[in-house]
Amino acid sequence: MPDEMRVTDEMRAIVGKVMRETVSYPIAVSDIRKWAVAVYYPEVPPRLYWDEDYAARSRWGGIVAPEDFNPFAWMTRTPSPDDPPVSQTAFSERELGVEPPRHRALLLTEIRATHSGVRMRPGDVIRSTHKISGYFEREGRMGHMLYTTLSHELFNQRDEWIRTVDSVFARY
Amino acid sequence: MASPDTIAVGDELPAFVREGTVHHWNRFAAANCEFAAHHWDDEVARHEGFPSAFAMAPLQHAYLHAMLRDWLGEDGRIVAVAIRLRSPFLRGRTLTAGGRVTGIRREGGETLADLDLWETDEEGTSIATGTATVALPDRS
Repeated sequence: MPDEMRVTDEMRAIVGKVMRETVSYPIAVSDIRKWAVAVYYPEVPPRLYWDEDYAARSRWGGIVAPEDFNPFAWMTRTPSPDDPPVSQTAFSERELGVEPPRHRALLLTEIRATHSGVRMRPGDVIRSTHKISGYFEREGRMGHMLYTTLSHELFNQRDEWIRTVDSVFARY
Repeated sequence: MASPDTIAVGDELPAFVREGTVHHWNRFAAANCEFAAHHWDDEVARHEGFPSAFAMAPLQHAYLHAMLRDWLGEDGRIVAVAIRLRSPFLRGRTLTAGGRVTGIRREGGETLADLDLWETDEEGTSIATGTATVALPDRS
């Protein structure tokens, strides 16, 4: 394992390669409700996220999830709990056979989401591709930091694109 | 609710304010299965160089979505939201999210608004900055 927080040739070689796909279980109404309650707490979230009668009369014709909803929390269909464990975020390189640099801590520093307008709904099965889309190094408050951009593209069961999220993690 | 007829460059969105407590963060941890110890254990956070436990970045990103949605109403479309974390949202502080319209344009038959976003605490600390683009609901 490299001791320094530097981008190696091996790391550069895996940029843009899909490291895995994740497939959700069908989204439950209660998944959406819990997400909305958590985000809006202590206020009551908008009815579109929890009131089926209200949502049925809306232009959406039923409950939809907030755009930032995570359909992969807790457990996924793929990989399943029976599959070999996948790497933690900090060690994404390992999924493509590259040893990540040793680090003390990991921080999420930036999130960039682009939404298609296709909403996630109860019953949807969401598929996500994961890849490292870039590295850069910079001196920060915590010393020399290695920044890694992880890109996720989400699609529903009809292969409609839902959103792309770029998350930038700093390792130091 | 925001619409092409009612907004102008320079308009500010109603603020979205949330306390930084475990009551808030535990709910999000449960919804997002996000249990990194630095979000609830001050000692772990200090070991990583922070004064205390701090909020989850996806929750701060979600707060910006919620603020935009409250302003847009159900019919508007959130096109893009980017957030850059500047300082941790520390336990015991109060976060105020805000936004300002920086541009309005027509594209693909839609009216799009570009916005600058921010999150600050009560001491004036910049917790996060960001940008967003939304498609405004057509009222005509």
